[in-house]
Amino acid sequence: MVPGLFERIAQNPFYVLGLAPTASRTELEREGSKLLSMLQLGFKDALTYRSPLGEHPRTEEAVRAAMAELRDPKRRLVHELLAALPASQTVPAAPQAAPELKWPRAPRVFGYGPKREG
Amino acid sequence: MSEKSLFLGIDLGTTNSAAAVFDGTQVHLVRTPQGTTLTPSIVRLDAKGSVTVGAKARRLLDLDPDNTRGEFKRLMGTGQALDFPAAKRQLKPEQLAAEVLKSLRADVQEQFGLAPARAVISVPALFELPQSSATSEAARLAGFERVELIQEPIASALAAGWTTHNAAGSWMVFDLGGGTFDASLLETRDGLLRVIGHDGDNFLGGRDFDHVLVDFVLETLSATQGVRLARADPALAAGLRKLKLAVEDAKIELTREKATSVLVPALQLGAHVLDVDVTLTRDDVTRLCTPLVDRSIAVCVRLLRHHGLDPGQLSRLVLVGGPTVMPVLRQRLQDLLGVTLADGLDPMTLVAQGAALYAASAGLDARPAPKLEEQGRRIWLQYPAMTSDLSPHVVGRLVEEPGPKPVSIQLERHDGWKSAEAPFNEEGAFVLAVDVEPRKPNEFTLRGKTADGKAIALKPSKFSIVQGLTLNDPPLSRTLGVAMANDRVNTYFERGAPLPARRTFRHETVEALVKGQQESVLRIPIVQGEYDHAHLCRLVGALEVRGDQLDATLPAGSQVELTLELDRGGRLSARAMIVSTTQVFEEIAQLLVPEATPEALHGGLQATRDRVTQLRTAAFRHGLTRHIEQLGQVEQTLGEVERDIGAARGGDTDAAQKAKRGLLEIDATLDQLDGDSKFPELEEEAVSAVSWASSLVSRFASPQEQRLFDEAVAGVEKARRARQVHELQRRLRQVRQLGNAAYYRHPDAWPEQFEHAASNLSSMTDLPKAEKLVADGRAAMARGDTTTIKRVTEQLWRLAPADARERQQGHNSSLR
Ligand SMILES: Nc1ncnc2c1ncn2[C@@H]1O[C@H](COP(=O)(O)OP(=O)(O)OP(=O)(O)O)[C@@H](O)[C@H]1O
Ligand SMILES: [Mg+2]
Repeated sequence: MVPGLFERIAQNPFYVLGLAPTASRTELEREGSKLLSMLQLGFKDALTYRSPLGEHPRTEEAVRAAMAELRDPKRRLVHELLAALPASQTVPAAPQAAPELKWPRAPRVFGYGPKREG
Repeated sequence: MSEKSLFLGIDLGTTNSAAAVFDGTQVHLVRTPQGTTLTPSIVRLDAKGSVTVGAKARRLLDLDPDNTRGEFKRLMGTGQALDFPAAKRQLKPEQLAAEVLKSLRADVQEQFGLAPARAVISVPALFELPQSSATSEAARLAGFERVELIQEPIASALAAGWTTHNAAGSWMVFDLGGGTFDASLLETRDGLLRVIGHDGDNFLGGRDFDHVLVDFVLETLSATQGVRLARADPALAAGLRKLKLAVEDAKIELTREKATSVLVPALQLGAHVLDVDVTLTRDDVTRLCTPLVDRSIAVCVRLLRHHGLDPGQLSRLVLVGGPTVMPVLRQRLQDLLGVTLADGLDPMTLVAQGAALYAASAGLDARPAPKLEEQGRRIWLQYPAMTSDLSPHVVGRLVEEPGPKPVSIQLERHDGWKSAEAPFNEEGAFVLAVDVEPRKPNEFTLRGKTADGKAIALKPSKFSIVQGLTLNDPPLSRTLGVAMANDRVNTYFERGAPLPARRTFRHETVEALVKGQQESVLRIPIVQGEYDHAHLCRLVGALEVRGDQLDATLPAGSQVELTLELDRGGRLSARAMIVSTTQVFEEIAQLLVPEATPEALHGGLQATRDRVTQLRTAAFRHGLTRHIEQLGQVEQTLGEVERDIGAARGGDTDAAQKAKRGLLEIDATLDQLDGDSKFPELEEEAVSAVSWASSLVSRFASPQEQRLFDEAVAGVEKARRARQVHELQRRLRQVRQLGNAAYYRHPDAWPEQFEHAASNLSSMTDLPKAEKLVADGRAAMARGDTTTIKRVTEQLWRLAPADARERQQGHNSSLR
């Protein structure tokens, strides 16, 4: 499943963890483990986070995934770039979820060319 | 009762098991009554049904081979019971493993004076779900109240990381055991241990060395004594077991000596009785075992390359497992990889030590719960039980119950250091930072105060944090997903996803499920593997809902909400909810490694051979030399598979599993070759997809979507140039998804989709319903009512039939 743009911005690990893109490795670990603790105890404050697209629910899985992303220096770099988008920028409303292609022939209509394996 | 926490780790090995205990400062090895740190994973049952485990049982392998069993770890999760004729009993692999665990548990009790209730048990990184769940079951049978599983390479890494302070950079753990090989690439930085990746071979280990050496001895015997002997002959099984033991002893001796003899007087091998006296030299071992050693090194190189590293960039290599003491292996590693071998670490017990450290990091204290309950106001606490952080956070919350409660809290360390005093907020919760002393257990006491400033007892009253390494969440070793009726996999968790994890998707049923009908089954196959096609992945479990369990009949296209959850040790649970009735099903019907009969395997072998022939013809025709080479290698592997099938006919179920996996892997290789030869076609498809999507994206997408689209297109280009089939497919999916999102904003999109669906009316699963929908759609078209057109089209999609062949390949899934 490839996340769309909306998810990519909303789920940026820096937003999920509430950290600045300049946060150090230690801060990342400290903040992540604190958030996990808070979520396990159902702290109200921890249940949501903000991105430029608004407020989103925060789950333990999302925190774990965000920590894993930022621990990898190469992947962290990408997220740093995206998190640096100015928060004021006007962003469109969430696009309608793109439906999966359910009709077997739909790819052809979409101009995908012949349906193929793989 | 011991005052200090005690953390127990167990390495439940194929050949040998070991246990270690960590007290927050030091790791201690658990010893058997004979004073050794290893317990052979061997179990004997005598006629009276009494059990012998470990070294004593190993000695009986010789004398009473029929009632003495080893290597059952390799059968974990297969549900296959092993015979103990003297006791007239059959025991499952997990029951045998439980006996080994009981023996280790008794040793812990003997040495530390308490019966451990909780422990961490290590499992190979490539263990699949059924194997892991059998391991948990073994622990339960052995009397453990709770266990967590840890992957063996992570355990070794943790132990190596703990022992050598301040190690930095990338390094590798090379674990060659009795039956499995694991290579893991790791990195330590600022006290954080990160698993970068792993690779391995579930069917490579010391016993393969034994096999080639046994073959050598048999050949020598054939030559000198004029008899024909083959390892696959079932009549020789008993004698071969004896010979294998002697050969293994010789192999171990040759680690120290230059030459030795394999001596077995009056060995009964089928119809022959032979006096075996064969000289074996270290050079023989070197010559015969080098190909196997090289196979393991090739895996290391592949792992490094996958992560863009050269062997030269490794700061060190940690060796784990019995065969890694062999001179041939150490020499080859240095020759081929040129890295320094880490020393001072015990290859035989490192895994157990790491498991004990992990128990500390999971806060899994082995001590049984105290008989005397603490008194006081109850509070939930959360904190990292082990961390590299010198000032971690402690978070707590009062349990809601009547009675006096504290308004503030302070944490006091055993040596008198005190945290700030924090108030409880309106939720009854607090967050406090504490200072911890390096490389030590830090015990803290909770001090609560009531509104009038009086002290109030809290429960628990104490907790401790060990300062050391922070271990990242264990990564999932294989991608896990659900097979769909079109032979695709809906991925729930990617390989490397941090555990624990949970994910929910909605699916639709491909056909009706009739209430009350037992034969009417909704089948949700759960698969593991790295392929988009379900038939290339391994079926690891299935959730089945029968019609007679249903509250109401479900028409085709009914929504099912499926949640898969994995705990830290990779144990799976699943939950399916029928959306319309909110009925929930949770039982995973099948959690077994699928059986592999020699007949089915033979059929598979035949089919694969045919496929190789076809591909070779095509490769010759197109002059693809690289393919011809690769097909040559495949043929060689097929030879091995054939030998394993032979051994499977002789009753070796492990060989059957090995053959099965071999065939699956070959299948995947062939698919790749196939994909490779279709690369031009894929490229063409890429061009058309990109041009189709660009026109839509430029008109209907947001600026951000356009930016992502540019990124995806750049990715397509890059993958195309590097000829990376999988990456290209992944990028194409992105392109299509973005194009698709834009497409649906096009005013003509839904009418077009509707027309298409309507033109397939005759093949719909529920014709009357489909006809009605088409009529509704036509009317909506006339009115220009897009909302209705969309709804109707989506409903029509649900009535489209599943392709029978694809469905069968998709492990008979009922979902799309
Ligand atoms: N000194 C030695 N020289 C060579 N091989 C040895 C030596 N000592 C043990 N072995 C071999 O090591 C193997 C057992 O290794 P080990 O105990 O590490 O495996 P294990 O942990 O039980 O297996 P696994 O990790 O695959 O479950 C056996 O094949 C044994 O013959
Ligand atoms: Mg081992």
